[in-house]
Amino acid sequence: METCIEVKNLTKRYGNRLAVNNLNLSVKKGEVFGLLGPNGAGKSTTIDCILGLKSFDSGSVSVLGVNPVKARKHLFERIGVQLQSSSFQGNIRVGEICQEMAALYQKPADYRSLLAQFKLDHYSRQPVTKLSGGEKQKLSILLALLPQPEVIFLDELTTGLDTEARRSVWQVLIDLKDKGLTIFLTSHYMDEVEALCNRVCIINQGHAIVTDTVSRLIQNSPHQRLEEAYLWVMQEGVA
Amino acid sequence: MKKFLTLFKIEGKLTLRSIDAIFFGVCMPIGIMLLIGLISGNNPATDGAGYTLVESSFAALIAVGICATAFMGIPLTIADYRDKKILKHFFVTPVSPMMLLWTHAVINMLLSIISALLIYSVARFFFGYQLIGSPLFFVGSYFLVMVSMYSLGLLIASLCRTVKMANLVCSVVYFPMLFLSGATIPFEIFPKPLQTAAGFLPLTQGIKLLKASSLGLEVDLLLPLLVLFGALILGILLSMRFFRWE
Repeated sequence: METCIEVKNLTKRYGNRLAVNNLNLSVKKGEVFGLLGPNGAGKSTTIDCILGLKSFDSGSVSVLGVNPVKARKHLFERIGVQLQSSSFQGNIRVGEICQEMAALYQKPADYRSLLAQFKLDHYSRQPVTKLSGGEKQKLSILLALLPQPEVIFLDELTTGLDTEARRSVWQVLIDLKDKGLTIFLTSHYMDEVEALCNRVCIINQGHAIVTDTVSRLIQNSPHQRLEEAYLWVMQEGVA
Repeated sequence: MKKFLTLFKIEGKLTLRSIDAIFFGVCMPIGIMLLIGLISGNNPATDGAGYTLVESSFAALIAVGICATAFMGIPLTIADYRDKKILKHFFVTPVSPMMLLWTHAVINMLLSIISALLIYSVARFFFGYQLIGSPLFFVGSYFLVMVSMYSLGLLIASLCRTVKMANLVCSVVYFPMLFLSGATIPFEIFPKPLQTAAGFLPLTQGIKLLKASSLGLEVDLLLPLLVLFGALILGILLSMRFFRWE
């Protein structure tokens, strides 16, 4: 299978602190890959490095076969990104943010049909601030889908949502997964990871502890659920 | 170009939707112009001055339009967009966040130009105002004051880490400049020591330049030009040094 994202020996320091320590991972086309770990483990820093938003000290990154720093414009026509806790302009309307973001791409998806598909079309003239948490996150996914991407990055998409909203966001992601879209996500919810991800990488203090499929990770632990297996891995430090 | 126009259209709508920009930048100076005209009519600005209060206030009031955008519009929008990671989000699209910043620079410029034109129309049609000095010199001064004030606004946006901080600094910079520079209260009626102190504010020098050019006065231009260019260069250099996208 084709490799979509390739990270080799990635190391990033903030002063003396190692934020990412010699990280290796590769994500294949059509895969849903989860980057897991506690707060401050280096998940967002890793995503920032992969997207070329932050420089790193050593190692290499390639996304869809290109260097994200050198081929920025070209690459961002082909990938969609939802950043952690990003938000929208005050008093912008749903239709307006879609129109504005769509204008940035050469061949954008038709946002009106995406709005209909996500059942957000009747909110088109409403301010984004009036949307519920779940609807806002669906809108974030929708915006990430505007470039008709081959890969999307979702950083802590469902943090702070209630159960129902979380489920409806999952459903959207499962549909995208079925269509063969490659998804790179971070999450704190293991039930979500279990439901969505093919493979995961667990990191702590910038260091990859284990990278494996969800099922093998559970098999290799003395537990039945990913959450327990995750905690077990974190405690053991190795698996 | 199509990208810019779409951004311009939508961000422009957002600017108009938040009424404070229109209120402070357009309505307030027009209101003051009307008041000054009604109160003082065509009496001289000070005893023995060769120009009326309307004529002398015109320059100061169009500076209010510049300042509303320079010290509220631009820095608060940037601080807010940085806080909400909207600037960062533009990094993960094919265009750069610079495009968003330029869009807002153009929107704010247009807003202050519209404000200036409206103030001129009010002064012209209600109080028979006419520009005494050279129009070219006046327009040149206007744009120098504009870019100089905008660079200070950009500097505030660069130095303030949060929206709250930016809000506070903008108020602390904006209101004293507004009251002490002669933009709202005629500079001529201030006591001498206060005039000297206020002379240090870049806006005071800017208004001095605008007044001189609109009234056709012969004044020493060295100090105003020095202060305005100084503020412009310092503002740009320091902003480049301290600006953060997130």
